[in-house]
Order: sequence, then C-alpha cells, then structure tokens
Amino acid sequence: MEIIKTINLEKTYHDNGVPVHAVRGISMTVHAGDFLVIAGPSGSGKTTLLNLIGALDLPTAGSISFEGEELSSMSRRELSAFRLHKLGFIFQAYNLIPVLTAIENIEFTMMLLGISEEERNERSLNIMEDLRIAELADKRPNEMSGGQQQRVAVARAIVTNPSIVLADEPTANLDTATGSSLLDLMEKMNKERNITFIFSSHDPQVIERGRRLFVLRDGRIEQEVSR
Amino acid sequence: MMLLKLAQRNIWRNKRRSVIVIVSVAVGITATILTDTLSMGMIFQMFDNQIGSHIAHMQIHRNGFRDNMVVQNFIPDAEIVERAIKEEPSIAVYSRRVVLFGLLSSANTSAGISIIGIEPTQEAKLTKIKSSIVSGSYLTGSPNEIVIGRNLAEKLGVELGDKVVALSATLDGHVGSDVFRIVGVFETFSSEFDKVYAYVPLEGAQKLVGLGNRISEIAILTTDRNTVGMSKEALQDRLGDEYEVLSYVDLIPLILVQIDMYQQSMIVFYAIIGIALILGIVNTMLMSVFERIQEIGVLMAIGLSNAKIFSMILIEALSLGILGTGAGFVAGVLIYLPLASYGIDLSAFSEGLKSFGTGTVIYPVFTATGVLNALFLIPFMTVLGALYPAYRAIRLQPINAIRFV
Ligand SMILES: Nc1ncnc2c1ncn2[C@@H]1O[C@H](COP(=O)(O)OP(=O)(O)OP(=O)(O)O)[C@@H](O)[C@H]1O
Ligand SMILES: [Mg+2]
Repeated sequence: MEIIKTINLEKTYHDNGVPVHAVRGISMTVHAGDFLVIAGPSGSGKTTLLNLIGALDLPTAGSISFEGEELSSMSRRELSAFRLHKLGFIFQAYNLIPVLTAIENIEFTMMLLGISEEERNERSLNIMEDLRIAELADKRPNEMSGGQQQRVAVARAIVTNPSIVLADEPTANLDTATGSSLLDLMEKMNKERNITFIFSSHDPQVIERGRRLFVLRDGRIEQEVSR
Repeated sequence: MMLLKLAQRNIWRNKRRSVIVIVSVAVGITATILTDTLSMGMIFQMFDNQIGSHIAHMQIHRNGFRDNMVVQNFIPDAEIVERAIKEEPSIAVYSRRVVLFGLLSSANTSAGISIIGIEPTQEAKLTKIKSSIVSGSYLTGSPNEIVIGRNLAEKLGVELGDKVVALSATLDGHVGSDVFRIVGVFETFSSEFDKVYAYVPLEGAQKLVGLGNRISEIAILTTDRNTVGMSKEALQDRLGDEYEVLSYVDLIPLILVQIDMYQQSMIVFYAIIGIALILGIVNTMLMSVFERIQEIGVLMAIGLSNAKIFSMILIEALSLGILGTGAGFVAGVLIYLPLASYGIDLSAFSEGLKSFGTGTVIYPVFTATGVLNALFLIPFMTVLGALYPAYRAIRLQPINAIRFV
C-alpha cells in the first residue's frame, strides 16, 4: 500500500538572498511497512526531504500526499492533527521535553490523543520494557545518557502506533553499539507493529539495514536500491 | 491537565525570573490594597467627620433658607415638622437648632462666624461637638454659655471663662447683642471648622435675635446613611413645598466631587501599576518563549496544536499572576490588619489633612469592590501581557523553531 507519494518535490531556501535549492524535484513512493533509508552526503537535502514529509516545512513546488491526501490542502490545525495521529519523530538531538520525566515524555502524546490513563500506563510500561528503559521512568532527560534519551525518544515516537516514524540521523550522536541496539529495536517495531520507518542517515550501519535505500545528491535522487 | 503540569514545571525552570515576576505582581497587589483601603478610609472619615461634626444626615428648613440664611426664614411650624419626623420610621434622632451669622468679639478683636443654637443633650446624640471638647466643658444648660473652636479662641485671644460679645441681625431688623461666657473649647478634625463655628444653647440664640421659641433648622440622623435619599423623599412628601429637606448629598456636594476626583486619580494610579505589570509580563514571557523556541518546535512536531501551545503560555503567565496575587493579597492583609486597628498617624502632614477634612489618623477600610477588582484584574492583566508572546510562539513554523539554535 502506498502511504507517502511525492511528485516533483522542490524546496528552495533563501540564504541572505541567495537561493539554495535543497530539494530539486524528488518523486518517490513509500509503502506501508517500509524500512527506508535516505542517504547521501552532507547538504544533499536529506533532512529537508524528511521535514517536508513530516509537514514540518512547506515545499516550494511539487506535492506530497499521505494515503492519497494532499498535505498542502491541509490547514495548520489539520497538519498538527496529522502529525499527532499519524507520525512519530525521532531527532538527532533527541529533543525530549526537558521538564518531563521519561515516562511523562512517553505518555505526553498519548494524553494529547485522549487515551485513558489505564491504557497509557499499560502501553508505556510495555514499551519501556521492550526498549529496556523501565528503570529510567522517573528520570528527567538531563539525568540520562544520550543513548538512553534516544531510546525514550523512540518510545515516545512509537507508543502511539503511528503510521510512519521519521528519524533524522537517530544514531549520529550515539556510539556504534548503542546505535546498533537502537536499530534492532526499530526493526522489531517495524516488524511487530508494521510501523513504516524513514531514516535519514549517513551512518553505514543504518544504510546497511535499510530494506530500501535512496541516495541523494544535490537535492536529487541519484540512486534507488531495494533489497 | 497535562498542559497545566507542563506550564507549572516550565515556570520553575528559571526560578529567579519567575520569582521576580511573582514579587512584582505581589508588590503591585499589596500597593493596590493599601492605597485602596487607605483612600476608602480617608473618604469614609471625611464623610463621618462632616456628618458627625455638624451636617448630620439630613436637615429641614423653611423652603428658601439655604439660599438666604436669615433669621426671618425660621421654620414656620416646628410642631408639624416634629410630628412628621416621628412618623418616619427611618429616622433615628433629631435635634432642633437656630442658625445665625454674626460677629463674635473679644476685648481685642472680632470674627465673623456661625453661631449655632442647640439643645445640648439632643445635639450630643447627633454630632461630635461634645466629644471634641478639649478644655472646659460642654454646654451645661444656662443660656449664656458658649463653646468655640480652638482656632477661633486663638484668633480672638480668649480663654476659658472669658466673656465674648455676640452680634447678629434680629428678627425685626435690628442688631441684637449679648454677652456669652466661654465654658468650653473644641477641636475637631478640621481647623477650618474650628475657626468658624460656635455653639450656644438654643434659648441663648433665640434671645439674641428675638426669635421667641422658634427655630431655623432641624438636623436628623437616619438609621442608614445609604438610604438617606429615600428618607428625604418621604419627609419632603409629608411636609410639602413650604419646607426644604436636604440630605448630606445636597449639603456637602463639594466633598462628593472631591471623592469622585480622588477615585479617578486612583484609577490612573491603578492603570500605571497595570501597564507596568503588563510590560513586565510581555518581557518575561517573550524571553521565556525565545529560550524555548526549539522545544516549542518539538511540541509542534509531536502534534501539540497551536491552540494548546498558545494556552500553555497563557497558563504559565496566569500561574505567575495568581501566585503573585496570592502572595500580594496575604502581604497586603497582614499589613492592613494592624493599620486598620491602630490607624496611620499622618500628623506630619496634619495641616493639609485637617483642612481636607479627614483627621490626622487614618484608619484604612477594606471594601470588597476595590480589592476584588485588583484580585481579578491583575491575573487578567498577566494573561493580557502573555498574548503577544504566545502569539509569537505559535507563529513559528515548526521546522524553523526546531532548527533554531
Ligand atoms: N533553513 C535553511 N536556510 C537556508 N539553507 C538551508 C536551510 N536548511 C537547509 N539549508 C541548505 O539546504 C541544503 C540541504 O540541507 P539539508 O539539511 O537538507 O542537508 P542534509 O542532507 O540533511 O545534510 P546533513 O547530512 O549535513 O544533515 C544545504 O545546502 C543547507 O545548507
Ligand atoms: Mg540533515
């Protein structure tokens, strides 16, 4: 099933008046259940593409649709509902809410979704068990290591059972072993829950694990690999 | 619920800044409570003094007396008036008076004053002259006694026991004169008052101007000052056109104007406090939004709607406002309570206050309207001050916010 489809997507920034073509005409299709990596050298447009898909940024031209619905036709309110219900984000810098504990960070989006307290508890305990972060429940982000924070961020992103998780360089700040175990977790979530993952990364171990791979260069798809 | 938790924690991230805001709100509230209670105290005292020294709640005269206060304008039939008064349930006490203008002379000098003939016992139930006596005694009953204000005594250069001569126009158009002996000197809240009023027994005044047993004024206290307008109407209806019934509102309109002006100047004062507060909140909340731009971007990314982000920031400001208001209210009441029982002695400025008519010791008075207004308005103002920062927060595109470093 097609979940994301982009057609001739373009994004041009203006850096002090100088146009920067970060994405120049990307057409791609993402299927439900994909475990997809967008690779490419620094500045090739990976983050930009991911942000466009996540509706965090608006394209200059072209279109993106989610399950057939055009993102550009949605209001800011609908977009925020779309992100809440359908997406999960994992950032390179973890970006947990600093004033909330691990478990509160994980429950936050479930509260926004109006999920009952019992169910929230059950789900967050399960996922923390799964990600082996149960003992971190009452810690604040600044009391955790980078790897621990990123696990909490993964938990936060997938606990609502989103259709897609967008992960921008999730392993960039982690050592290889930590990164690898995090990838194991995400593969497991992908298989068990059929959550689509889209990564942007130049970390070889991420690229290796991608079942589909897009290599970007200068804002274009240079190569597409499926395995 | 969760927004509330988030907002509560957010305000304690920068404790120093939040404490500064809370303290400034608290100081604003405390200042407002103190100025409001103090000014209400002054206003009430001004009223009480005016009413209590001479004016009373209502006065009845022959129609036209107020415009032309001559002896010829005596009350045509005092018995009719007294009967009407006794039938009016809202009237507590009354006292009969003769009001004269005349000259009071000592051996050295003389002064133009109001000479009021009173029934000593009855008058003491209405006004405070008896309790304002600072030396000598109140009128004891013999017709040629007089009590005068301290300032008048000084001006005339007379003392207790001295004799003074009173001159005033008589009923038949001559000038009457009589000798009175000073039995008492009073000092009221107002130095002006003490300069121009002297009290003699009713018979003494009647004899001076040949009034027989007629009177020119009846002063009245009602059971409730606030319903004096109704009592006035009722009496006027009973008495008809031949008489004029005046309430203190008619008799001291200047004070009402003063009070009005005073209250308007207080509004300016509150507005200044309010504006300072709003600007403080705008500044604080803007700083706190700018410090958290990236985090706000993340909140947007994980699906917090603009409305919720907006409310979160308003709740933060409101919490600061409520905490500050609570603290300020407690501080204000703690300062107010002892002041209300002991009063604030402003004798350092007493001359000014004395002619203002409040007395030198002010007892603040807590009125619900003034204080409640502050208690509701100030938190409201903190929310007002947070509107712009909150608007700035939601105007961000999530990506620009996340990328912001
Ligand atoms: N907000 C912006 N304003 C101006 N130029 C931008 C902005 N964001 C990205 N760019 C430019 O767009 C191009 C693509 O950036 P992008 O961040 O998408 O690349 P990337 O592939 O994610 O790189 P990296 O591997 O370093 O993260 C770069 O040349 C970058 O400088
Ligand atoms: Mg990038």
